[in-house]
Amino acid sequence: MRSVVILVVVFALLMVFGPMLAPYDPTAINIPKRLQPPGGEWLLGTDALGRDILSRLLHGARWSLGLAFVVSFLGLMVGTCVGLIAAQGGRFADWIAMRTTDTFLAFPELIAAVVIAGILGAGTGTLVFALAVTGWMRYARVARGIGLSLATKGYVVQARLAGMHPLAIARWHYLPSLLPSLTVVWTGMFARAILGISALGFLGFGVQPPLPEWGTMLLDARIHMRSTPLQMIWPGIAVVVSVLAINLAGDALRDVLAEQESP
Amino acid sequence: MIRIAADLILRAFVVLTGVALATFALLWHAPGDPALSIAEARYGTVVSKEVLDFIRAEAGFDTGFWTAFWAWLSPLLAGDFGQSSVTGRAVWPDLMTAMSYTLPLALVSLAIGLAISVPLALIATRRPGSWMDRGAVALASVGVAIPAFWLGLLLILLFAVQLGWLPAMGADTRAHAVLPALTLALGVAASLTRIIRSGILEARTQVFLPAFRRRGIPPRNIARDHVAPHAAIPVITVLGLELAFLLEGLVVVEVIFARPGLGSFLVNAIYARDFPKVQAVVLLAAVIFVIVNLAIDLIYRSLDPRMDGRNA
Repeated sequence: MRSVVILVVVFALLMVFGPMLAPYDPTAINIPKRLQPPGGEWLLGTDALGRDILSRLLHGARWSLGLAFVVSFLGLMVGTCVGLIAAQGGRFADWIAMRTTDTFLAFPELIAAVVIAGILGAGTGTLVFALAVTGWMRYARVARGIGLSLATKGYVVQARLAGMHPLAIARWHYLPSLLPSLTVVWTGMFARAILGISALGFLGFGVQPPLPEWGTMLLDARIHMRSTPLQMIWPGIAVVVSVLAINLAGDALRDVLAEQESP
Repeated sequence: MIRIAADLILRAFVVLTGVALATFALLWHAPGDPALSIAEARYGTVVSKEVLDFIRAEAGFDTGFWTAFWAWLSPLLAGDFGQSSVTGRAVWPDLMTAMSYTLPLALVSLAIGLAISVPLALIATRRPGSWMDRGAVALASVGVAIPAFWLGLLLILLFAVQLGWLPAMGADTRAHAVLPALTLALGVAASLTRIIRSGILEARTQVFLPAFRRRGIPPRNIARDHVAPHAAIPVITVLGLELAFLLEGLVVVEVIFARPGLGSFLVNAIYARDFPKVQAVVLLAAVIFVIVNLAIDLIYRSLDPRMDGRNA
């Protein structure tokens, strides 16, 4: 749990204070100083329009990580609700909820997101919608699974017989037991969201230029691969380091939970 | 078994209906007048109202949602994927041409991915916790975190731009397939290594294994008869996810390497707002994906007798 907290704090600090550390305006165009090599006045060089790459990377954290957080959190909300409805709502509600989940899982999530974002028109709003709509199913499955195993527990049966409202049972009896596992799923989905946002940005369906998002930066850098190959390295490293950090935190959290459950 | 199979097939049918409905709802809500974009693409910019009405009637845009859905679905059910709204060419032959580039690439990548991950996982689990094990895990963790499009760009940078050993763009020769296959295979290998490794470690904790060892059964036989089959179960269950991962990688990788496969076909169709092509790819991919997952489900159930119909 501690590793996840540290991670969230570091990312939050990066999103809040990262842009303040940026030495230049990330969208300020300076054509005479285009495609400068790293070092000197521009620590990581400049891009094809003379914009400072370091400043764009620092501002980009707010887009790439911030939007991934929003996307994974929306997925968590929707998925938990669907899972709890399936677990508590009886056989018919369960069947409907689970077949809906299957339908959304019937297609590679990222491709579905590309199609949705592409058809509805590129932009930040559709990007979040496309990734959230294709990113809630794993939470639903986990929430339903744990919910069904709780339904036969003595305290839940008693609460139900005592006439406790299903929503209150969900809030006070189900949610506390769900949270640890859902947090593990959330770390995985957060990492996937970062990859998804950068992939859609790279294909041109995501955050639109001149906003500095890491995938969009890679799309720009790709054209100048021959003259300034390093320009392509930095945004990629930012994505890999973020995803790696989240995955490692998720693994650590899962190990802690497994240890707590085993004795 | 027949009951379970029938239940699974019914589910697959429900899921495919859901996918068709979702696809049509998405096209129905696409912004802008689709008739106008079709007309512009076909006849140039200046179009009369009569032409727009003709296109609307032709595509069934002027009826209600459910009528239009049925009008849209029935030719698809008959196997008629229609014509491209931009070029007017039939969608199906072009789709099959694209498929002929994508399928071999996907299979070769999957094979290379297995060829890397199985030995790596076996070496890693020989002594769990050793430097080799930790090295393999670290390598796999980094591999999972690298987006396919960035890995592809790095490989182009190294092998095509700097060293000049391999071609990067197009699909004319076998050499053109090396870098895209490598990009996809490394991603597959990274995630499979983690799964196979934990599958083997988990299989070794089975309670009866020490008894077999004490009875003098050779370790090789224990590994073959009791560890390998048990370790295979989690691997088979994630094969569906692995296929999804591979397809997702294919889309960006084909775009980067300018291969005329299914991924480029889809992305270019979206750029051109050529909806008949988009829906053809989506529905074909959904059918393939559902059938593969159905097959995996059935294999999994026949391998693991503990699974009965209720624990689905």
